[in-house]
Amino acid sequence: MSITTNPPPEPPKLKPQTEASKKPFGSRWLGQLVLLGPAGIWLLLLLVVPTLVILELSLVADIRPGDVVNPDGFANYLRAFAPLNLTVIGRSISFALGTTIGCLILGFPVAYWIALQAPKKWRNLLLLGFILPLWTSSLLRSYAWITILRRTGVLNSIIGIIGIPPLELMNEPPAVLIGMTYSFLPYMVLILYASLEKLDRRLLEASADLGATPPETFLRVTVPQVFPGIAAGGLLVFITSLGDFINPELLGGASSMTVARLIYNQFLGQTPNWGFGSALSTLLILLVSIAIALLLKYGDRDAKV
Amino acid sequence: MSPYQLSSDRHLSRRHFLKAGAAAASGLALSGCGWTLANVRTTIDTPSDVLYLYTWAGYTDDELIKEFYDETGIRVIADVFSSNEEMLAKLQAGAGGAYSIIYPSDYMVRKMVSLDWLVDLDRDRLLGLDELFPRFQNPGYDTQNRHSIPMSWGTTGLIYNSRKLQPNPTDWDYLWDNRQQLSKRISLLNDGREVIGAALRSLGYSYNTTNIDAIRQAYQKLTELKSAIATFTSDAWTSQIITGDLTIAMCYSADAVQVIEESPGTAYLLPDSGSSVWTDTMAIPRTAPNIEGAYAWLNFMLRPDVSARVCERLSFATPNQVAFGLLPEEVQNNDSLFPPESALEKSEELKPLPTEVGEAFDLYWTRLTSG
Repeated sequence: MSITTNPPPEPPKLKPQTEASKKPFGSRWLGQLVLLGPAGIWLLLLLVVPTLVILELSLVADIRPGDVVNPDGFANYLRAFAPLNLTVIGRSISFALGTTIGCLILGFPVAYWIALQAPKKWRNLLLLGFILPLWTSSLLRSYAWITILRRTGVLNSIIGIIGIPPLELMNEPPAVLIGMTYSFLPYMVLILYASLEKLDRRLLEASADLGATPPETFLRVTVPQVFPGIAAGGLLVFITSLGDFINPELLGGASSMTVARLIYNQFLGQTPNWGFGSALSTLLILLVSIAIALLLKYGDRDAKV
Repeated sequence: MSPYQLSSDRHLSRRHFLKAGAAAASGLALSGCGWTLANVRTTIDTPSDVLYLYTWAGYTDDELIKEFYDETGIRVIADVFSSNEEMLAKLQAGAGGAYSIIYPSDYMVRKMVSLDWLVDLDRDRLLGLDELFPRFQNPGYDTQNRHSIPMSWGTTGLIYNSRKLQPNPTDWDYLWDNRQQLSKRISLLNDGREVIGAALRSLGYSYNTTNIDAIRQAYQKLTELKSAIATFTSDAWTSQIITGDLTIAMCYSADAVQVIEESPGTAYLLPDSGSSVWTDTMAIPRTAPNIEGAYAWLNFMLRPDVSARVCERLSFATPNQVAFGLLPEEVQNNDSLFPPESALEKSEELKPLPTEVGEAFDLYWTRLTSG
């Protein structure tokens, strides 16, 4: 709600504003500095400077711990675009996309039900139930999936009873997608819930009144209204799963190298190469930035409609 | 406990913090026209009655730490690392300033000596070096144990389900010969040197070959096996071998011995064509505080009775000849733990490789794990 739609502005609300504008520019500036300074320094020292260091390192070919940093070109980036590394980057992106789609398909009905159909007094409890798994270590949750998915595991024991032959999910891409979807589902549900809760139900009724079938109402009234939520949830899941390390490593089997693992190897592997690792990190940051730019553009435009 | 938590330790004064901060800042010093990263050598002074160790999981337990405390009054705090590279990276980044004792493996001792990270040990302050097995008194990776004291050793081999695999496997080639039946029942270590090295060995090359074409051949050979490999893992194989999800797994002998104790249907194989032999050592980093305590720990661990007890309790192989004599007969005769000399003859110690060879290993390893 913006101020303009409010009934006559209340004096106490406006008073601080007028006082502030009377103050000399200097002290206002000082006040802002005091308020924003600590967080600003924090961001500058622990985010901006390290990112610049990564950027500089990425321009040095074959740098190793202890070497002198002398930026000398784009060799590391050229290497990152070698077919082998593109395969790895592509695998990371497809895992992230698959996870995003999986979370959306599983998360939307749940969020819809909690926000619109579940009894009001249960909502907070239901949401809490969804966040609860996040309180345990992600490593532990991945290990739990090994127990479920392996050939003689829980899942195959259960489906064996009804006569279905055992599934070979473990150590294959489906296991990674299952593990990652499980890990990131709570984020999707929370964001979709926040978006669906604000849904204007009068529009749904109007749509039904005007003769739309329920699927039409869903696709043409509900989805456009919650599109910013879908975009935000999808991007959050995409970004976090792009850098996921544990699930591909533990569940993915012999062909599960992802960018996160490749970067790890450049710093803590047997032949460390900080320059190449930094170039890969920079590319990952770029990918995420593009995703965020898309969110700002499309998320906002639809929110205004 | 990480060294980050250390800075909140009540023993650390503000002065120490400033000193550490200054050292960290000097790590980013200008040098020539560029700057260097990670050459920080910070010592975090620790009280003389506390000794920080940086070790592998499974090399210390409460009983050992209590025994040391009862004798010397020094409280030991052990942090664990999961790879040599992780340990070195942490030290190089200046985050290991509180450690008085570290546990590098053989090839890492070589590397750290070449980087001048390890203290020259004062032999006059060490007791019982002559009680080590002769081959550990002058090991290839560290002449005359000048910088390191061996504390455990073992081999790399295969653990397998001895009920399912009849006749029992004898060599690396078994994996290739039976890859159809063993499809997705094989796991290999998550370690490029070991995996490519085993393939090199089965082709008749050395683990430490500098012949890049040989490395390529080993990679080719591994791609033939690739579709049968379930995963590359250095630890997750344990539960899957016990449950039978894996039939054969490449592993370190020390881990195998522990699993075999739990699961009698499994056996360990040191392949006929040879394998890698590793030694884990104890050393004092250049940045170590509390040198007195460090020597006390080394001497404590060199004592045959201590070594025998801890080796039996935590199932690893002692390099100490007198300690070996104190072990129960069934442990002495455990071929997985103490393989016969004849089997060791064909095995090699991993050595650091020239950069371009290391990169070739890395390239083919990335290919193998992403293809």
